[in-house]
Formats: sequence, C-alpha cells, structure tokens
Amino acid sequence: MFKGTNASAGIGIGKAAVIKEVEMVIRPDKVASVEAEVQRFRGALADTVAQTTVLRDDLATKVGEKEAEIMNGHLMLLADPMLTSGIEDAIKKDGVCSEYAIETTCTTYADMFASMDDELMQQRATDMRDIKTRLQQVLQGIKPVDIASLPEGSIIVAKDLTPSMTAGINPANVTGIVTELGGKTSHSAILARALEIPAVVAVNGVMDNIQEGDFIVLDGSEGIVIVNPTDVEVAEYTAKRDVFLKEKKELEKYIGMPTVTKDGVHIELVANIGNPEDVAKVLQYDGEGVGLFRTEFLFMDRTSMPTEEEQFEAYKKVAVGLAGKPVIIRTLDIGGDKEIPYMGLAKDENPFLGYRAIRLCLDRKEDIYRPQLRALLRASAFGGIKIMIPMITCLDEIREAKALIEDVKKELDAEGIDYNKEIQVGIMVETAAASLMADVFAKEVDFFSIGTNDLTQYTMSVDRGNEKISYLYSTFNPAVLRSIRNIISCGRKQGIMVGMCGEAASDPMMIPLLLAFGLNEFSMSSSAILRSRKMITEFSTEELQAVADKAMSFTTAKEVEAYMKEFINQ
Amino acid sequence: MVRAKVVIRNLTGLHLRPAGILCNKAILYKSKIQFQTEHTTANAKSVLSVLGACVKSGDEIEFICEGEDEQEALDSMIKVVEDGLGE
Repeated sequence: MFKGTNASAGIGIGKAAVIKEVEMVIRPDKVASVEAEVQRFRGALADTVAQTTVLRDDLATKVGEKEAEIMNGHLMLLADPMLTSGIEDAIKKDGVCSEYAIETTCTTYADMFASMDDELMQQRATDMRDIKTRLQQVLQGIKPVDIASLPEGSIIVAKDLTPSMTAGINPANVTGIVTELGGKTSHSAILARALEIPAVVAVNGVMDNIQEGDFIVLDGSEGIVIVNPTDVEVAEYTAKRDVFLKEKKELEKYIGMPTVTKDGVHIELVANIGNPEDVAKVLQYDGEGVGLFRTEFLFMDRTSMPTEEEQFEAYKKVAVGLAGKPVIIRTLDIGGDKEIPYMGLAKDENPFLGYRAIRLCLDRKEDIYRPQLRALLRASAFGGIKIMIPMITCLDEIREAKALIEDVKKELDAEGIDYNKEIQVGIMVETAAASLMADVFAKEVDFFSIGTNDLTQYTMSVDRGNEKISYLYSTFNPAVLRSIRNIISCGRKQGIMVGMCGEAASDPMMIPLLLAFGLNEFSMSSSAILRSRKMITEFSTEELQAVADKAMSFTTAKEVEAYMKEFINQ
Repeated sequence: MVRAKVVIRNLTGLHLRPAGILCNKAILYKSKIQFQTEHTTANAKSVLSVLGACVKSGDEIEFICEGEDEQEALDSMIKVVEDGLGE
C-alpha cells in the first residue's frame, strides 16, 4: 500500500496503464546546412502548433473553456518571437541540430520561471518543459503517448502528467490517476477534480513498483493506492466506491432545495471563500451566499499595499457573482505571524495575543483600514455585502470601527458615490472576552459570526498548531460549548442573526447541537454544503433540545464526543 | 518616441493569460513596444519577456513606444491595461 496526497475525491478500481516517456538523447550534433536545419525546425514548430490546437479544441469541448486555457498558453509560448528566434539563433550560431537548440533555449526559460518567487510563474516552468519535449518528439518522429485511446477501466500511472497529457484524458475510460510527483494545486490535480476522476499524487516510488496491467485500487479521498489488492480489499473498496457514488448522486438532489428543518426553521447555509475565484464553487454547490470572505489574499504575496480600487474590484466581483445573496466580508485579519514586508510589522512575541486584526487596523486607519472600508462600502452598491470585524475583545473597538464606517459614509456622500446606506456591520465572536460580553455587544451590531477555531484556541488557552497539547483542542469541550450556547442565546435575545464560520459549522457531530442552540447561519467550505443541507433537513430543532440537554450535562469533551457520535450513527 | 506610466490592477499580476492579452494587442502595431519596471525592461510583443519581468499587482510600469504608429500603440497599451487585461 502506498500513501500519497489526496488530489481528487472518489474510489478508482482498474488496470494500470503506465505512462513512460520515450527517453530522448539530445546531443549537440553538428549539422551540414544551417539553413536546412532552420527550415526543419520551422516545420516541426508548425506541426507542434497544429497538434496543440487540436488538444486545445478537444479540451474546450470535453471539459470547458477555462481548462483549455492552459493549451492557449502553450500556443502563445510557441508563437513567441523570443523563443523561436532564440532557437533559430542557436542553430545558426553553433551549427547544432534543432533538438539541441531547443533543449538549451527552453531549459533557460524553464529555469528562469522555476527561480521566480511566485507560484503561478513557477508553474510556467512545467509548461516550458512540456513544450520542449513535444517539439523534440515531433523532430524525432516519436509519437506522444496516446492517452486518449486507453481502454475502459484504466488507471493512469505516471511520474508526472504534463498539461498536454492531461488534455488527452477521456473520463469515460480513465477511472483513476496516480502520479509520483505533483501536489494538490498542480495542473493534473486541478484537471482531475474538474473531470471528477479520483486521483492520488506525490506517491513515492510508484513508478518502480507498478507494472503495466497491475490491478490497482486507489482512494482519492484518503490518498491511498493499493497494488494487486486481495479479494477482501477489492470487495471493501468496491463497496466504498458504490457508497461514494450513491452519496454523490443523492446529494445532487439537494441542489436547489431550501434548507429548512423538519419543524420549519429556516437556516442560512452559506460558504467560506478566500478569493473571488471561489464564487464558481459556491454556485456549483448551491451555497445561499457567503458567510465569510477572507480578505487576506489581497494583501499577501505582493510588494505594496493593495489600492482601494483593486480591493473594490475584488469585492464587487464577489457581490455581483452572488447576485444579491448575502456576502459577509471580513476586514483584514492579519498580524505578526504573517510575513508582509511592506506593512512593516514587528515580530510579535505572541502573535495571536498581539498586534493583529482590528487592533492593527484601528491603529493604522489611514493607510490600511479606511481604504478597505471605502472599497467595501463602494462595492456594497453592487450586491448583498455586509461588513464583519474580526477579533473584537471590547466595546470600544466596536464603537471606534463603527464611527470610522460612518465617517467613510459621509465622505462618500460628499463625493456623490453610491453605496448601501443600510449596510449591516457585524463582528466575529472568537475571543473569551467577546463571548462573556455577548449580551452587551449584541445591542451594538447587526450580526454575530462565531469563529470556532479561534474561540476554542482562546477559551482553552491552547495553541492549535502544537501537537503536544492537541488533546485540549476540541470544540466539544464543555467550556467551549457553553460559550457557543451563550453567544447564540445572547444574539437571539437581541434579535440579531447569529452565524458560525469555523470548522465546527460543518461537523456532523456539532450540527445537531448548533441547531438546538438556535444558530441561524452555517458557513463552511463549499464542498460541505450539500451534505450539511441533507443533514439539517432531516432534523427537527424541537426534538434536538433533549439531545442538546443531554450533551450539555456531560463534563468532559470525551463524553460529549462519544455521545454525539452515538447519536448521529443511530 | 512616446512613453506613459500605468499601474497593473490584475489581482495576480502579469501572469500567462493577461500577458497573452497584452502581447496580442502589442503585435497589432508596427512600433517597437517595450515597458520598464523598477528592475528590468521587457518586450511587450513577447509573452516570455513579459512573464520574465515578473510584474505583480500594484506595480507601476512605463510603456515606451517607438515607430510610425507610436502614439496609437501607446494609447492602446494603456487602455488594455486599464481595462483589466481580461479579468
């Protein structure tokens, strides 16, 4: 059995189709006629462009325009004057064969991309090497591996899948993908997910241990690959596959259904997102809005502060994408644990107890907070934007932030800029202090959103990254549960919406408790939405009261967990 | 020769797709079209050169156009960047 990275969910069972690239030996052979060699290169270039165009069109019809874009990129690179003249110059200057000129020129650019400190750019190195190999294959008359004609029930096993290889995959015949290299965000993993083919990547030693035709079972959800499994294992994974497919089908029925409990309580089921591109996934899984849009991505991996205009475009994109549905945008939640040189943040001894989030923003109103609030308010004219303030610990922070928002509104009024005058302002409730003061804070804001990850960390005084004390990090600790129950009850008494955007909101063992406590809004990763909707619609909040009472009568996290586990498995 | 500055607004900077859109616009003109960043000069008609300049969101670049249709080329380059390069 091999362990790797779970890149695309599902179970694949089938015969290994081992993809081996023909090894090409590229030598600096001298050519008799430089002119003839340049013509030979141009011919190969034209053929490669033609092949790539076919791949691009195939991919566009089979998967989608977005996935075909990578091949468009290859076409642009193949047409690049710097690349082609670089290769031709190398042929002319050194009198070497095209293969060698391609090798040196393309490798130079691949290395250039690989050395850049930008992940998107580093991925271009893969594209450059892919182009290099295909040009050389055309010159040598080597047929590229024909992935498109693999027989039904094939499991592709490869060192790595180049973009041009993945473009040829026929999802009707390929039941799984295993690669030795790659990661969750590599091109092959992204395409596997788009095609819904189970995939495990970064599996060490897989090329040495799998032969063509071996029987393979792979679990793309757990990252497991079994070579020549026993009958028992085959039976086990066949059953798992059937359950996976059945559940997937069953969950699809919940697309378009309202999230209402058996006793008629309407729940808002929304998504957590990290950038505007995630909106597609929210819509795919029928999210009823966005419960948490983290704005940190706008500030990371760059050399200067994002402008108000840039932020406005990003917020507007999400608001427009969700077409009027609620979009809760959390203002900057960043501190000394993140390396952002242009912000000039000093190293914090205790970053999670230090100068971060609203504390930092209120201290740097002019260069950080005001531009962000202006962008948020301007974008609110285009959709259902609500503003959420993170890491609130005392009333002064709420009042100061709200005063700044009012000030920005006046500014916009004076400039005649449109915004939603009724925009809601809420807070994350994630510190012990905010939880204890929830009854007071509820009178000052329009909504609460409970951040269970931080609330657990701050309530239990436990660093969630430290494995030695991970036994303390459980949301099922009675202390944390009491805190959650109190926050929800204070919010409800004041008649404001109470949501949750931490991991607990999609935990099947937690959902019944949260429903019983009276939570209005559940925010989670898009892929968990349909499963949670199914669960919520099967419960009645009235019937759950007894379950919650029983759970709250226990005095340790272990007892609560055991009880909830038993309850949901009934 | 004419020149003008513009700020890159795309969230991901000049990566492959926006760079392609930029180049496709540039090759429509006869003029030599380059842009300067803080660190380097790039040929706007070459995707590789544009990518190699590693321009990030928020960076300012200066276009320099030289040739018979230079003013037209410059206006067009500034506009394609301001329009967001397809994003």
